[in-house]
Amino acid sequence: MYHDNYEEDDLAAEVELVTSAQYPPDADVDDGFDSEGVVSSQKQPIAVEIPDTIKNFITYFHRNVLENNIYELHTLYEVTFNKLTDRFYAKQPWPEAELISPLVDDDQVFLTLYRELYYRHIYARLSPSIQDRFHSYENYCDLFNYILNSDFPVNLELPNQWLWDIIDEFIYQFQSFCNCRNRIKNRSEEEIALLRDNPQIWSCYSVLNVLYSLIQKSRINEQLLVNKNGGDMLEAAGEYGSKPLYKMLGYFSIIGLLRVHCLLGDYTLALKMMDNIELNKKALFSRVIPCHVTTYYYVGFSYLMMRRYADAIRAFSTVLTFIQRTKQYHTRSYQFDQIAKKCDQMYALLAMCIALCPTRLDENIHNHLREKYGDQLAKMQKGEDSISVYEDLFQYACPKFISPNGPNFDDLASISQVNEPYQHHAKIFLSDIHSQAMIPTLRSFLKLYTTMSIDKLAAFLEMDADELRTQLLMFKQRSRQQKWINGNLLEGDIVSTSDLDFCIKQDMIHIAESKVGRRYGDWFLRNITRFQDVIATLENKN
Amino acid sequence: MAQLAMNRPEVIQSLIDGVDRYNPDNISILEEYLATQCQNEEYDLMANLAALKLYQFNPHLTNDRVIINILAKALTAVPAPDFNLCLYLLTEPMIIDESIKQLTALHQLLEQSRYAKFWETYKSDPAYEQLVSEVRGFSHAIRTIVARVVSMTHQQIASPLLESYLDLSGEDFAAFVKEQNWELKGAIVQIPVNKDNEAKTVVIRENIKFEQLTKVIGYSNEM
Repeated sequence: MYHDNYEEDDLAAEVELVTSAQYPPDADVDDGFDSEGVVSSQKQPIAVEIPDTIKNFITYFHRNVLENNIYELHTLYEVTFNKLTDRFYAKQPWPEAELISPLVDDDQVFLTLYRELYYRHIYARLSPSIQDRFHSYENYCDLFNYILNSDFPVNLELPNQWLWDIIDEFIYQFQSFCNCRNRIKNRSEEEIALLRDNPQIWSCYSVLNVLYSLIQKSRINEQLLVNKNGGDMLEAAGEYGSKPLYKMLGYFSIIGLLRVHCLLGDYTLALKMMDNIELNKKALFSRVIPCHVTTYYYVGFSYLMMRRYADAIRAFSTVLTFIQRTKQYHTRSYQFDQIAKKCDQMYALLAMCIALCPTRLDENIHNHLREKYGDQLAKMQKGEDSISVYEDLFQYACPKFISPNGPNFDDLASISQVNEPYQHHAKIFLSDIHSQAMIPTLRSFLKLYTTMSIDKLAAFLEMDADELRTQLLMFKQRSRQQKWINGNLLEGDIVSTSDLDFCIKQDMIHIAESKVGRRYGDWFLRNITRFQDVIATLENKN
Repeated sequence: MAQLAMNRPEVIQSLIDGVDRYNPDNISILEEYLATQCQNEEYDLMANLAALKLYQFNPHLTNDRVIINILAKALTAVPAPDFNLCLYLLTEPMIIDESIKQLTALHQLLEQSRYAKFWETYKSDPAYEQLVSEVRGFSHAIRTIVARVVSMTHQQIASPLLESYLDLSGEDFAAFVKEQNWELKGAIVQIPVNKDNEAKTVVIRENIKFEQLTKVIGYSNEM
């Protein structure tokens, strides 16, 4: 059944070692274990009897969940589960919850958690059917119901990575459902009926309800506010919020809402969600790398859509520098692919921002950017062909937008060509770009002179004087942006973001460039310290 | 750049901040607030976006007139990106509607600083004036925008040119110039120097903070 190779034996042995030490395999459970392997996905082969390794893993896993053994759970969840998936269930679902239920004494809580992993696996490696989606939604309802609607805080502790993944996956499945709901062309009658009769499943309101409830229950906003003003978080936490499970779920829900609002096109509300979170290295989101990346991606994207290019550049640069510096730590993580893809998208967005608002970047980032998108950058600054480049980059890098309402199932004929939601956003974004197509060329000309008459410049640019005046007015208007200095993310002062400034006196343009002076402070300080060290060493030797 | 909602009433503030904003019954509060904004020449972006969001989630509540008013108000906020932020919350079928398209056309002209063309288009078809009819002081607001951009860019500008940008002439023009504290000297308007229209070469000098020197000063103490 299994091809004998070293790795597999090794893995089985690893699990064996780990489980046999604490929990001997129960002989009764193995016998007569008739797994008919009822699989919901129609294309999968019937699963055969559950392998011992898996059984041991599940019992051991269950035991650790019961004992709230976070450290061990972290390894089991991140490493062992994925290895076992790769070995045994690369192309088929894990055993259904009902089948393993005897192994865990019918522990409903554990089974709910198990089902979350089960469906996550189906979404990741196989393709979920409509029934799968519905069942997964109901499972999430069970899980969140258990957590939110209990009389006392539940006595459950899970590793942060898992908590983040629950929220992340929840939103991902919501997004996936919204997109699939719109594709009704090849659906059977019963599928359409199923979708029509159940508008509450994966509805926008219920998803938002979950996220907001988690935030409210954990009083995370109050906690963060107290923390920001130097107080003790526990005081504001309340009964539920003081437990790490609730606190972290509440925190991750804030990031979740940042994401959902972006997907719905409400960028100001998205940034407003982050009101009490400061974007620095000490923030809670930096404990879980995918969360860290997601936060900055959506913050940067929101800024981009709000035309605050300088702030978007800052957000993207921060996270891309961080990822580059810590690369060796997460190449081994199984989420490396996803993180890498997000980084690529951020480079694309950064390229667009730099083309729209030329700024100096950190050396490393700049090199990477030129490597990946050098051609596109050049084209975006040329003027003629730029729109198609912007369009391509936007399509590649934008989030998978959703529309909050499904198609009108009662009037199927009217749904002829439902456009992908991103096209709506792309259209508006590109109309903006279109307006300023000439600006890069204008910039390059202005850089060359200190004074120039309108007519002469118009002749160089091959446009008439009136058109040139218009372009100059627009250039000036565009160079003033709202830039974040401190406080909440939505705040900021209007500053000039261009290094080129000019004024028009009648028919003459006077141009001035701002230069960055030589920075000598850092060099001197470093060398003073170095000399001091040398002197100290010499003194010690005597 | 747009006049911030300094006078935002408490009830609106708590509506925007909390989860009540998702309650479709509250749409009337937001719609009334918009009417107040139009009457009193005030502007509150967050509240208007909240109204559009309710429409997004509850398409049956959509009120075309309200949407048009919100967009017209957003026009008066240029160069802030408010107009586009509103558009993102609408749906595709909505934005190809004739009235929205007309407003979008006006927006494009303002964004591209094509002021003379803006007034030309605006006056060419009575439909435009109909669209912005509920927004009091629309023309004045647009002229303020133009004045701001012009004063950022110019120190001197020819009067006929400025007149075409503002769509004013004669006495109205002179009164407007005075209102902006500009000087009218014959055929030229002189704009006083402000921080934006001064083309000065700036060298961004490094600002060494005291904290960076504490270590060095510490060494000197040891000597």
